[in-house]
Amino acid sequence: MNEAIQIAIGGVLLGSIYAMLALGFSLVYRITGVINLSQGAFCVLAALTMYSLNVTFGMPLFFAALAAIAFTTAIGILIGAFTFVPGMTRLSNSNILMLTLGLLTMINGVMLLIWGSQPYSLPPFSGEAPVVLFGIRVPTQGLWIVGTTLVLILCLWLILFRTNLGKALRACAENPAAARLMGIDVKRMTLLSFGMSALIGAIGGVVVCPIISIEFVTGQEFTISGFIAVTIGGLQSFGGAILGGLALGVLTQMTAGYVSSMFSNGLALGLLLIMLLWRPNGLFAPALRKREDVREAARVQVGIVRLQGRQGWILAAIALLIAILVPHIVSYGMLSSLVITGILFLAVIGLDVLMGWAGQINLGQAGFMAIGGYSAAILVTRYDWTPIPSTLFGMALSLLCAIVLSLVVMRLRGLYLALATLAFGLMIDSMTVGLTEFTGGPSGIVGIPSFAIGSYVFATPTQMYYFVLALIVTIVLLLIGAMRSSFGRALQAVRTDQMAAAALGINVPVHKMAAFAISALLGSLSGSLYAFFFHYLSPEMVGSVRSFELVAMLIIGGEGTLVGSVLGVALLTLLPTIFQPLAAFKTFAEGVLLVFSFLYMPQGLFGTAVIRFNRWTHQAASRITPSVSAVNRGSV
Amino acid sequence: MTRKILEVASLTKVFGGLCAVENVSFDVDEGSITALIGPNGAGKTTMFNLITNVYQRSDGDVLFCDESICDLPANKIAGLGLVRTFQSARVFPGMTTLENVLTGAHLHMLAHPAQQMLWLPKATREERDLVAKADALLDLVNLLAFRDVAATDLPMGAQKLLEVVRALMAQPKLLLLDEPAAGLNDSETEEFAALICAVRNNGISVMVVEHNMSLVMGVADKVLVLDAGRLIAQGTPGDVQNNARVVEAYIGQEFSPQDGD
Ligand SMILES: Nc1ncnc2c1ncn2[C@@H]1O[C@H](COP(=O)(O)OP(=O)(O)OP(=O)(O)O)[C@@H](O)[C@H]1O
Ligand SMILES: [Mg+2]
Repeated sequence: MNEAIQIAIGGVLLGSIYAMLALGFSLVYRITGVINLSQGAFCVLAALTMYSLNVTFGMPLFFAALAAIAFTTAIGILIGAFTFVPGMTRLSNSNILMLTLGLLTMINGVMLLIWGSQPYSLPPFSGEAPVVLFGIRVPTQGLWIVGTTLVLILCLWLILFRTNLGKALRACAENPAAARLMGIDVKRMTLLSFGMSALIGAIGGVVVCPIISIEFVTGQEFTISGFIAVTIGGLQSFGGAILGGLALGVLTQMTAGYVSSMFSNGLALGLLLIMLLWRPNGLFAPALRKREDVREAARVQVGIVRLQGRQGWILAAIALLIAILVPHIVSYGMLSSLVITGILFLAVIGLDVLMGWAGQINLGQAGFMAIGGYSAAILVTRYDWTPIPSTLFGMALSLLCAIVLSLVVMRLRGLYLALATLAFGLMIDSMTVGLTEFTGGPSGIVGIPSFAIGSYVFATPTQMYYFVLALIVTIVLLLIGAMRSSFGRALQAVRTDQMAAAALGINVPVHKMAAFAISALLGSLSGSLYAFFFHYLSPEMVGSVRSFELVAMLIIGGEGTLVGSVLGVALLTLLPTIFQPLAAFKTFAEGVLLVFSFLYMPQGLFGTAVIRFNRWTHQAASRITPSVSAVNRGSV
Repeated sequence: MTRKILEVASLTKVFGGLCAVENVSFDVDEGSITALIGPNGAGKTTMFNLITNVYQRSDGDVLFCDESICDLPANKIAGLGLVRTFQSARVFPGMTTLENVLTGAHLHMLAHPAQQMLWLPKATREERDLVAKADALLDLVNLLAFRDVAATDLPMGAQKLLEVVRALMAQPKLLLLDEPAAGLNDSETEEFAALICAVRNNGISVMVVEHNMSLVMGVADKVLVLDAGRLIAQGTPGDVQNNARVVEAYIGQEFSPQDGD
């Protein structure tokens, strides 16, 4: 009994942190309509700053805490002002979601550079000795955590519901356009909400640091847990967010205590999926009724990237020729990187069909890579299958998962779909780590043979290079065939306006599912080849960080073009190989490039290049009569 | 006797406390042009949304070709041959004018996506024929010069025309148009009237919501008048124009506004 209470108390403490994070999520969501995934990073930033101030610079703990909170909030406001606020005016909500993902990656990258990847922890604020309340031992830090949470909730409530500022904030949440007309500075309110969420995150990070050790990736975990909490409770309700956080904390601690911690992750994610399915608006929020005839995302990105027919083929032929000649001029190490580029590109092509064409966000693409990779690795090493059937098996399994998952998320859109795929990726993550007897756990599977067709073995990077190249050319040709005709048009219609698409007889769910299936199949294929090429597979090679990386590659290269993303893949894969010293900057660079692309180069490297090229050749321009190009300039 | 293509039977829609459409019944004859008019907020768009099941009805029934379509998803309704346009032109952003029009033909693509993937001659040929057809239609509404321009860069009036053309590509039996002429000038409106008549003469029934009375009175075979969710009059343009209740409903408004909104 006593043990149960102790565990429950642990749960409440953990839950308080989740509740704080959930509050931050809910705050930003209610004021701006988007989820700020970067919030967990502010937690960790504050905690690590406090550590440095206290341990390295000898500042007393209490002052270090205050200074860390102030510093983190200032950084948050700065980042918000230069990324989040401008993003809000020109990006669709789902792109903002990915922008904040970029921010999360970016801050993680900075922290990795400054603090390295080791864990840190600090002593409790008021000594180690626990206090005894009603015969139950409570660590003093627990009182700090619960107390801070309560004060925070009270302050937030007072600000929002008892001040004019709060009224303005809530007006932005209700109707930004009307708020603007009433003279409310919506941009400042957006910034304020972002800053407040950074502040909440920072406070959470500082008080929790003494009870859990913190490292640079903890931010991700915080974001995810806070997010699950707020989904359970309901994005629209502060009370719900708090209860959701507490419930999640207690539940995960209970399962961790009585079953296993591996299971507790799975439980949290399962809970998230069930909630998304059963009550996407959360337990405590009434289903919000929106006028259904209002278009959901007014700020959809509209850049059109088209190469005129013949030019496209000529450029493609030149590119192919270069690709064929490349192995003869580059070094051995470089060639391996090129093969990896090609293999990852396969996964990104799939992602492009889903995100760039059908407009559905997938933050769990590496989950499919994992299914493909582990199926192949296990079947080949353990059951003596040959590479091709085992790859096909992985693809079939991925297809099955994609169909089930898309049935689950069918009714969800944008935000929630992104989250469901994130949850899927994380679930696969925890399975690859946890199912040790199958996957080898964290140390992975070794001794995977090279890929082979019959008795022909693709043993050298050169052989593998040409094989992957042939595969890419075939797949791209097939997909271009589909995308330039009715299937591709239907996907694009679904992407931008589902209601108008349905009114033309397009079966929206079926098209979403088809795009998801293509994405999963290619992800799985890529994962299998990855395993065969490395002869080795471990969970972090196909983990959630990889999923984020694939999204970054796609956005940086250019969405909706099938081939453009190769530039993003190449940039992020080859640069660290060419400039070894830069390897440490990889995470940071990924984040920065992702954010930069969203804000300043929404068509990506490829799209921007094509638009420049078209302008240069005057091909497109000559077709546009003066009146329309004037309209053009006016509206862009 | 002409067949009824659309029968609306005591259709009702309540939003919260507001009755946007109240117990409305009417028919649309096959091969006719029916106009639905009424002051702003009368419930015209809501009526279209009910017919195409964008909104769930509160009560009543809608029969299309003698079949109830009230519980069908929007894409099935389009598949039966009932295609609509939207009041706020909903062209697809990120696609050119031509691609927008081609999207309209989705229902009638014979080549399977797998055949398109393999670049089979059948698929390629079909695609080429479609483009020719789309070009012809765009030419008809003077938009051919803009075929490779982003559709969202067109002026509003052109976007609405584009939407009509896109709907025509779906080869509907009944076409529902929500204020298609909003944003067109007088001569363009006249051309548009001719287009609607041509569409009808090709055997496609048309139901149109429009504020432009000269357009309505010029082309409609039958006019339905909606006010505050209730059908207050129906008949030939002549009947309706002389109907006292209709005049009353429009009091405070100019009876023949030349341009909607
Ligand atoms: N989704 C909705 N939720 C709540 N009320 C709605 C909704 N859609 C329409 N209404 C209300 O129903 C009434 C009828 O609206 P509707 O858009 O059908 O008018 P309309 O006749 O098309 O007007 P207009 O000529 O301005 O287009 C209005 O009072 C409107 O506010
Ligand atoms: Mg209307």
